[in-house]
Amino acid sequence: MAISQVSDYLTPHDLGKLANLQVLARKVVEGFCSGLHRSPHKGFSVEFKEHRPYVRGDEVRSIDWKVFGKTDRLYIREHEQETNLRSTILLDTSGSMAYCGPRAKEVSKHDYAVRLTACLAYLMLGQQDSVGLVTFDREVRRYIPPRGRASHLRAMLDELAKSRPQFETELSEVFHELAAKIHRRSLVIIISDCFGEVDSLLKALARFRHARHDMIVFQIWDPDELDFPFRQWTQFQSLETPANRRLVDPAHLRHAYLENLKRFREQLTAGCRRHRIDLVPMTTDQPYAEALASYLAIRRRLK
Amino acid sequence: MTLLNGILAFGAAAFAIPLLIHLLNRSRFRTVEWGAMHLLESVLRVNQRRVRLEQIILLLVRCAIPAVLAFCLARPVLTGWQTLPGDAPASTVILLDNSYSMDVADNGRKRLAEAIDQAGQVVAALARGSEIAVVQTGGKPQPVLDRPIFDVKTMIQQLRLVRGGYGAADPAESLEAGLGILSGMANARRDLVYFSDFQHSDWDATPRDRLQRIRRRIEEMPIRPTVTFVDLGRSVEENVSVDSLEFSTRALGVDEDLQIRATLRNHGPRAHDAARARFRIDGLEQSASQIALPAKAAAQVLFTCRFKTPGSHLVEVEAAVDDRLPTDNRYAAAVPVLERIGVLLVDGAPSDQPLEGETDFLSVALTPYTFGRAKLSDLIETKTVPPGELNEKAVAGARVVVLANVPKLSDDQVGLLGRYVHGGGSLLVFSGNKIDIAWYNKALYSDGSGLLPMTVDAAAGSGQADAKSSRIVAQHFEHPALEIFNDRENGNLADAEIRKWYRLSRVRQSVAEAGVTPVSTGASSEPFVLARLETGDPLIVQRRIGEGLVVQVATACDAEWSNLPMRPIYLPLMQHLITTMASQVVPPCNFEAGRPLVAVLPGESQAEPLALTSPDGTRRTVRPVARGTQSMVEYARTLEPGVYTLVGSDARPLHFVARTPRAESDLRMLDEKRLASLAADLGADVVRSGREYLELDRSRRHGREIWKYLLAGVLGLMFLELVLQQRFARVRT
Repeated sequence: MAISQVSDYLTPHDLGKLANLQVLARKVVEGFCSGLHRSPHKGFSVEFKEHRPYVRGDEVRSIDWKVFGKTDRLYIREHEQETNLRSTILLDTSGSMAYCGPRAKEVSKHDYAVRLTACLAYLMLGQQDSVGLVTFDREVRRYIPPRGRASHLRAMLDELAKSRPQFETELSEVFHELAAKIHRRSLVIIISDCFGEVDSLLKALARFRHARHDMIVFQIWDPDELDFPFRQWTQFQSLETPANRRLVDPAHLRHAYLENLKRFREQLTAGCRRHRIDLVPMTTDQPYAEALASYLAIRRRLK
Repeated sequence: MTLLNGILAFGAAAFAIPLLIHLLNRSRFRTVEWGAMHLLESVLRVNQRRVRLEQIILLLVRCAIPAVLAFCLARPVLTGWQTLPGDAPASTVILLDNSYSMDVADNGRKRLAEAIDQAGQVVAALARGSEIAVVQTGGKPQPVLDRPIFDVKTMIQQLRLVRGGYGAADPAESLEAGLGILSGMANARRDLVYFSDFQHSDWDATPRDRLQRIRRRIEEMPIRPTVTFVDLGRSVEENVSVDSLEFSTRALGVDEDLQIRATLRNHGPRAHDAARARFRIDGLEQSASQIALPAKAAAQVLFTCRFKTPGSHLVEVEAAVDDRLPTDNRYAAAVPVLERIGVLLVDGAPSDQPLEGETDFLSVALTPYTFGRAKLSDLIETKTVPPGELNEKAVAGARVVVLANVPKLSDDQVGLLGRYVHGGGSLLVFSGNKIDIAWYNKALYSDGSGLLPMTVDAAAGSGQADAKSSRIVAQHFEHPALEIFNDRENGNLADAEIRKWYRLSRVRQSVAEAGVTPVSTGASSEPFVLARLETGDPLIVQRRIGEGLVVQVATACDAEWSNLPMRPIYLPLMQHLITTMASQVVPPCNFEAGRPLVAVLPGESQAEPLALTSPDGTRRTVRPVARGTQSMVEYARTLEPGVYTLVGSDARPLHFVARTPRAESDLRMLDEKRLASLAADLGADVVRSGREYLELDRSRRHGREIWKYLLAGVLGLMFLELVLQQRFARVRT
């Protein structure tokens, strides 16, 4: 099935909610294109930043002659350079993302993640930002470098349509690999369930942060994974390794599972906070656009 | 272990339901393709063994719930304790004390009435199919019905018919009787319930080892009964009783004075300074007397009376005091007033000279008023005949025949005397110088099968007042005829000098040697020596033969061989001997309750039925039976104390009084401690009322029926299941 239209992922209603929002980096991000994002490089731009006294070596063309005319002193007029956001979306396509609980209305975690990716890509490209896409499971499956062209959306949507959740996850290794590939500072958006060893995952994320990337982790949950609602005897078959089956009485394990889950989330949240990574948990039963909007609203407030 | 609803025990198979559910759940699992396997696996890794163990525990608890519930519904009973549940039929014996102390009124109601009511409650509460026996324990334990019955209503009706006033209860005998009945009963649960006032006097007389024997008997019974004492007694201190009536003479004639000595006893601590004692004859008050009754002491009051008519009369003394036990304030006795006692004197050595004949002294001694020409009449009427005139005509009407120094008699006369004695007559044989010893031994002793109590051997003594004479041994006399001489004021038998006598002895070996079977003399008793001489020789011997009595005297009745007729004791001795002989063959008309009533009907044999009125007012018809020349009435059911009156066709009543000892008039009851100790000795429980008994009985049964505990167990298991479920679902990381 070829899904290549934006409307396949984003409804007009969703797009309307996002219209007035802009993704603004909390930090100054390098970018080629001038745009809404502040750049640490002062230069030619429309928006005035400040005057500073002239020192030898400054370009003569940057002298504000009008001020000279009034004050008889040489001042350099400085402008704030606007840059475009360069972002890479890392989409987890491992087997565990295929889970689809009854409350998710046939939207699997993978479907949810794909729509979220499309939504973000559309949003960013609409702002003249560059967006790249990486799909991965135990290894990187596809790498689309960031581009700022509007036509780039189609390429991404084609890739999203082709992606299938399969294989095991190995987040830490994949992230180490990607951290080496993404050289320029950018916004790294990870869309995953983050299942795996917390410590190694955090180490991998720290690697990104070390490369001075700004990071958002959208953690996708199915409601079933959060409240473990099973009652009758159930055979749990691993989506990643189908041979791994466990027949259990879920009622006996529920509390232990929830406790384990809580611990896992606390460790992850604490780790992300430590590394100043935004961790945004999302459940597949909540409208992803609303979740995204609320995230962006928070982001704007923090600016 | 017994199950009352055994069929429900099969419900225990329901333990399989949780097991099946468990297995079914396991087999009908759903498969979920799960993503967050890493979260699940770490939980499983840590909890797998615990979860499995918890599942097994939970499964066991869940399986146990229906199983225990089914067991509970089956109502198991621990039969190891030898009890059965409430609705199982029981074999119950109720011992009901109807002794006269139960007539004490507590709060205006007799204890016996209360006991009957409470026993009725106990009987009514018995389960269907229960076997019931009631034994009234007053006097002698006696079942109300011949055998245990199953009909509760009938038993309650019978209980209401139980009358009080019976003699003192013997607790040990009552318990033994109850246990005897219980051992023959059928049901698996056995109860012995004893309703009594538990008096000191009853239980003090019961030796402890006898109680221990009863305890052992209870313990050795195949099905051990429960024993419960229902104590209805409250100690009462104040009580006055008339304990006894004593008469001055044994045989009483018309117009003779009779002195009646009544003993009254005050059991209480309060003295009665002017207690009134009323004296009644045949129900009519004759006199009354005031008497001071000190605290805890007895006093005697004397009444004198005279009867105008012969026959059976009833005298009664009543202490007119206000106490809570009126039953023992009266004491009655029957007095037979004889018209005459005919005595036939057969004189073996008659003489024309006064006091020279063999029976002259005797005749005077027996009829002193006649000889003294006094106005008073003698009770005894003598008739003297020579041996040749001893015939049926002469014997007819004589209560006593006296053979005085009779040499020998014809065979017909011996046969006549034999029939006379066997038929209830009395024969007094005096020795003398004329008797033919060989004939006496052969015809009258006849190797022990004849009339004489002993053989007549050689004469002893010289007949003269010398050293060879002997005297009567002054001993305590047991025989009623000589009883008065126990009191020296009435004379001393030892004063008389016996100069000559025959040695009397029993020769039984000769019979054995001869190889001859002795001729049966019917219901003959062994000879009994009434008095002995200092030499050791018997002087007066007695033997019962058939219905009659023979007394043999070793010496003569005149003054030839002894100075006895010259002594003042001769008259009372002969009088008492003759009257006792005349009355001893007549059965007593005052007897202990429970002994058979025997009446010898006057006149010729008769077969017409008589009416017998019991103390409770019931009338029965009794038929006389012929015994020898007389006819008699025998009636054995005289347990109830009181007056029995026999009325024949001549409408002259014959009174008989069944009496009880007055031990129960002391109304002190066993205190709680003593009663508890006694109960402990017997392994019994003590309660204060029938209701308490029922509660105790219920608690005994329920205490051993375990369904309540099982139900509690089921609830406990359900609660445990909840707790376990909650606990097992807790986090274990």
